[in-house]
Amino acid sequence: MLKNYFKIAIAVLRRRKFFTFISLFGISFTLTILLVLTAFIDKVVGDTYPDRKRDRSLYVSRISQVGKDATSSGPVSFYFLQHYAGSLKTPVNIAISSGFNGTNTYVNNKKIALNFKFTNAAYWDILEYDFLEGKAFNKQQVDNADKVAVISEDMKKEYFGDMPAVVGQYIEADNVKYRVTGVVKNVPITSYMTYSDIYLPYTVAKDGDYKNNKGLQGGYFGILLANSPSDVDKMHNEYEAMVSRLRPEEKWATNVYSHADTYVKAYVDTGDEKRSGTFIAVTAISIFAFILMLLPTLNLVNINITRIMERSSEIGVRKAFGASSRTLVYQFIVENIILTLLGGIIGVVLSVIALQVINSAHLIANLELTINFTVLFIGLLVCLVFGLLSGVYPAWRMSKLNVVTALKAQ
Amino acid sequence: MFKHLFKLIWNKKKQNFLLMSEMFVSFLVIFAVFTLMVYYYNNYKKPIGLEYKDLWVVNYNNTYNTKNTDSLNIFYENLRQTIKSMPQVKDVSFCSDNVPFSQNQWTGDVYYKNAKNGADNYIADDDYQKGLGIKILEGRWFNKEDAVAKTQPVIINDELKDKLFGSEDAIGKLVGTEDKKFNLKVIGVIQGIKAKGDYSPAGAAIYKRTDTGSYRSMGKMMVKVTPDADAAFEGRLYKTLANNMRDSHIEIEHMPNKLKSTNLFNIVPMIVTLIVACFLIINVALGLFGVLWYNINKRRGEIGLRRAVGASGKSVSSQLVYESLILATLSLIIGTFFAVQFPLLNVFNLQAGIYIIAIILSVIFIYLLVFVCSLYPGKQAAAIYPAVALHED
Repeated sequence: MLKNYFKIAIAVLRRRKFFTFISLFGISFTLTILLVLTAFIDKVVGDTYPDRKRDRSLYVSRISQVGKDATSSGPVSFYFLQHYAGSLKTPVNIAISSGFNGTNTYVNNKKIALNFKFTNAAYWDILEYDFLEGKAFNKQQVDNADKVAVISEDMKKEYFGDMPAVVGQYIEADNVKYRVTGVVKNVPITSYMTYSDIYLPYTVAKDGDYKNNKGLQGGYFGILLANSPSDVDKMHNEYEAMVSRLRPEEKWATNVYSHADTYVKAYVDTGDEKRSGTFIAVTAISIFAFILMLLPTLNLVNINITRIMERSSEIGVRKAFGASSRTLVYQFIVENIILTLLGGIIGVVLSVIALQVINSAHLIANLELTINFTVLFIGLLVCLVFGLLSGVYPAWRMSKLNVVTALKAQ
Repeated sequence: MFKHLFKLIWNKKKQNFLLMSEMFVSFLVIFAVFTLMVYYYNNYKKPIGLEYKDLWVVNYNNTYNTKNTDSLNIFYENLRQTIKSMPQVKDVSFCSDNVPFSQNQWTGDVYYKNAKNGADNYIADDDYQKGLGIKILEGRWFNKEDAVAKTQPVIINDELKDKLFGSEDAIGKLVGTEDKKFNLKVIGVIQGIKAKGDYSPAGAAIYKRTDTGSYRSMGKMMVKVTPDADAAFEGRLYKTLANNMRDSHIEIEHMPNKLKSTNLFNIVPMIVTLIVACFLIINVALGLFGVLWYNINKRRGEIGLRRAVGASGKSVSSQLVYESLILATLSLIIGTFFAVQFPLLNVFNLQAGIYIIAIILSVIFIYLLVFVCSLYPGKQAAAIYPAVALHED
């Protein structure tokens, strides 16, 4: 039966080539845009390099002090992470790192702009960076405030040029010479909690904020690691309980809010308690996707009705010989799904080309977009929904056709 | 004649309903795109308000450890002199962290009598205006005498003046940053600076003068250099700064580069929207074209009959074009009804003019689109010979 439907579908597609082209164009381009969008989102929030232990990690990105008509919100302080988050029982380890800051260095009268980030030693245990050479600095070196640095692949290329091995070499940044202990694979800037060009021990920070600032807000992020994924909920609750006991340090503030969240939630945290960042992001993306799909769907419905009505004599004959409405609807939906799947395949090919173009345009450094299985799966799902949506209404209208009128039409 | 066309449309209301809803949604999409474009263009054509070429910004953090405000001031005055004595440096000024083209923002309300308006708050010193090349529209910029002025002087931009004073004169008037406390005297009005890049509005702004304690909280220095300042000089400047401020992280950024990356925040969404909109329009155009074309093939009998009783080819094709234009009009009426709500309800706080221009442009665009799509099918209909068409039946 299916084989028959397939044959009919192909025959119909070949009959009116212009209409087939319009349908395929609509489906494949919509799918391409959706695939590129999902590939981007998947890369930005779904890429697990370098934090491969996401299933047992919680991220602390902000703390807010809220008063009646003012809010102060920002990254947490080193002191907060060490003393308050450090007092929790469940986390087995806490990675602490500063946000990245910019500075310059000048080599051979050439300016290099670079970003640096301070980390503790546990940062390198929790996050699994790929080391191309050397290794991370250890606790001993952090405690001694050794002037050592882990640099990114891009930084190595830019600062040292084609030198094969740079471990043990000195790199000057922010007017200080640091000894390179390791080179890691690049992280795109969109992973703002782990991105940097140079990673330094927090004890060499010139401003001494880590020891002088005893407040809640500062310039640091934290990653809490639980023993196993099942402990994550416990860790989350313990953290919330700890925060609820905190008192605001500002006079005008009445509440302190901070959350240890999963990566995605922490990533879009805006610090606004009433409107969560996740909600805003999901709403914006859904509205975009809805509008994007609405027009091509309407278009497809229009085209499909036209095409189906063209076949009224065929429908009339089949009905006259006793085919039920349901069989006919079924047949047309299957035909439509075949059409959308065909469009889907073209769409996937177009997406691969589009992603190649985007990657080679280097819109965001080190953000290599790829089609992976999740994206492909989402794409196929979208295709099926598309096929059903644009096929059901025309098929229903067609099945209500009267045998007599259908046969008389020609 | 229109009555007749309406009847024709009404007879096929089911199919026309779908066509209309497609035009309606297209109109809304186009309206959104045009609103964005008109908004960006409106901002783009206004002057940027500063001379950013050869302007550098130095980021540092104040780590000069002293309780004594005087010695802090002496330290930074010395630093200013040291840098200014370098041959390539024209001007040096210190200011608050929210320099133009940065992500930092500091907003607060400004009050005048019963009026109140949000504004960006800046702190700047006497040399800021000269260094940045800001245009003064009325009054003057800060100078040394302001340090001993009885009431604290402030400078506002044209946008804030319009909002608070309207056509009144602003110079010499008292405003406040807290309700019912008018303790700031306006001494100048400047042209607004588009601090969020070429495509964003300048927004209201108020400038306060640096006072004795300001150096504690500031972390930016604007340096205007000569056009021949190169990387070698920048390296020397960097060393000088780093040697003077030993405990501070230092970064030198060029304003043209900062403007470029700030503009990207507007340009990238604009390009993505345009690509998506283009694709949607092509899609809709092909769909409309296809459906109209098919309709003509179905109506060969009717058209043949009209030709047979003496209608010219031109009138046949114009009938079809009119029909689609009426369909477009119907959906545009509904679409405009929704679009007009935006300026009426003031949804995104944009000027009503932007929406109106966007509505007009989108209406013209949809009409053009429908017209172009029905032109070819109409022409085809005109080519139908009555003998052939009627013979088929």
